[in-house]
Amino acid sequence: MVDIARKNLLHDRVRFLITVVGVTFSVVLIFSQFGIYLGFMQNASIIIDNTDVDIWITSKNSANFDFPQGFTEARLNKVKEVPGVAWADLMILGWAGMRLKNGGAENIELVGFNPDTGVGGPWELVEGSVQALKAGPAVIVDESAFRKLGPLRVGDLLEIVETRVKVVGISRGVRGLTTAPYIFTSYRTAQQIIPWLREQTVFIVARVAPGHDPHEVVSRLRRIPHVDVYTKEQYSLKTRMYWTVETGLGMGFGLTVLMGVVVGMMIVGQTIYTSTIEHLREYGTLKAMGATNRDIYAIVLRQAAIHAALGYVFGVAVTLLVSRTIDATGLVMVVPAWLLGTVLVVTVAMCLGASVISVRRAVNVDPLVVFRA
Amino acid sequence: MRTLSAHRLTKVYRQGSSEVVAVQDVSVAAEAGQVVGIMGPSGSGKTTLLSMLGGILRPTSGAIAICGEDIVGLDERRLPLVRRRYIGFVFQTFNLFAALTAAENVEVALALKGFPPRAARAEALRLLDSVGLAHRARALPRDLSGGEKQRVAIARALAGRPPLILADEPTASLDWTNGRQVMELLHQAARVAGCTVVVVTHDPRVTPYLDVLVDLEDGRMVG
Repeated sequence: MVDIARKNLLHDRVRFLITVVGVTFSVVLIFSQFGIYLGFMQNASIIIDNTDVDIWITSKNSANFDFPQGFTEARLNKVKEVPGVAWADLMILGWAGMRLKNGGAENIELVGFNPDTGVGGPWELVEGSVQALKAGPAVIVDESAFRKLGPLRVGDLLEIVETRVKVVGISRGVRGLTTAPYIFTSYRTAQQIIPWLREQTVFIVARVAPGHDPHEVVSRLRRIPHVDVYTKEQYSLKTRMYWTVETGLGMGFGLTVLMGVVVGMMIVGQTIYTSTIEHLREYGTLKAMGATNRDIYAIVLRQAAIHAALGYVFGVAVTLLVSRTIDATGLVMVVPAWLLGTVLVVTVAMCLGASVISVRRAVNVDPLVVFRA
Repeated sequence: MRTLSAHRLTKVYRQGSSEVVAVQDVSVAAEAGQVVGIMGPSGSGKTTLLSMLGGILRPTSGAIAICGEDIVGLDERRLPLVRRRYIGFVFQTFNLFAALTAAENVEVALALKGFPPRAARAEALRLLDSVGLAHRARALPRDLSGGEKQRVAIARALAGRPPLILADEPTASLDWTNGRQVMELLHQAARVAGCTVVVVTHDPRVTPYLDVLVDLEDGRMVG
């Protein structure tokens, strides 16, 4: 049949354009909020996700990766004794103050790891080496920290909690969720810099021996008193959920996404409803000519689908531009393939949902309307 | 076989606790090639009768058969298919689709009758040519005169050669020059294409084109 849906939409181009812009706005809002949220969550667990271990052990009731508490290093031996543990080591995370070149100060999160294994350290070095951390008080700074700490080079000297440390490496891609940048150092240097961590560790990280189920090993490790034990995935999720639920971050982003959907529905719903009312006589004529309810559904829903398709395509294009701008500001926006699919489904559902009332009006039109002058 | 056979049609509307009889005991019958006129003053029940004949309004009592098929007993899913197969409509206010060209308006009717797109396009142009509007095939309704719109509506009603054409006041919105042209086309549809044409009108100038006249007054046949 002649594409009445498309023809009707294009007949009033201004209204059509406004509606597509509205759907585009809605799609961009959904993408950007979801994308920034996912970026935050990626940053929240970035060190957990990039540390090549299977199990994380923390002090009892530690809230998440960024707010840990110390516990005795002696637990390491108990961990190593558990069947199924192939390897375990200590790792530290502690908050500290850093003196800046300009005389100011900045909070940092100091990550202490074993430079011999590199486990828990940076995964991409632009300059320098992890081994150089063994030479004395030294740190590796991430490029993303330059915005806060100023530009740094290998060989620069810094002061962290009254300890002078030398920059021996520059890493890339270690951007945290908190405003404090991650600075890497050796486990022992971290203990020296942060007084309350002397003879204490913050994490024990472990690898599971081949042939053992990580969940079973975790169950055994949970018999060790005064610690919490997680698989890597569990700890990553716990950290993400902490930021999502406890801080209201999830609620904030969720509400904005919901607003995007509601705004989109209202714009599409209003347009399609107005268009349907204006074309009621035409729908009546179609029914008089023998069109079935299915034919009428098809026309109204196709109008919604056209809005959804165009709004989505333009929305994705604008989102890609926005994501580049957002990256330049230091935020991370993640748009994975599944999000593209999900937003497509949401957009189509939003537009089709918005046309439900219009469909009912069109289908229930009294065919006698065609005889009224 | 008669194209149209309506027997003792009655339509009663309920308004609150009272009842209004719009049409009472009206019978109409027509053969292929005949033009039937339903005449009467405003409020006499002409359009109600036409709506019942077209399967748009159900009679309170009585029987209607189109090409031998009873349409009163059909359910809501079957009725559209009967309208699609047997009936073409012409309306007083043309009821063309504003966003579609003249040819596309005709194509819609052909598509509903199962014509594939390419065949529908060719047939639409042929039908427009038969009403003298081949040169206006790509014009939108807003660019057509009243007479041209009604001729497009007739081409649309003729789509798929329906045995019955129901025309509601087809000349009421036109001057008589255009009105006469429209009546000649409807007459031609009956005589040449063999359609049965039912015209509801209160215009006495239409009378010479009619083979059968049903005169209504207050919902009853008076002649």
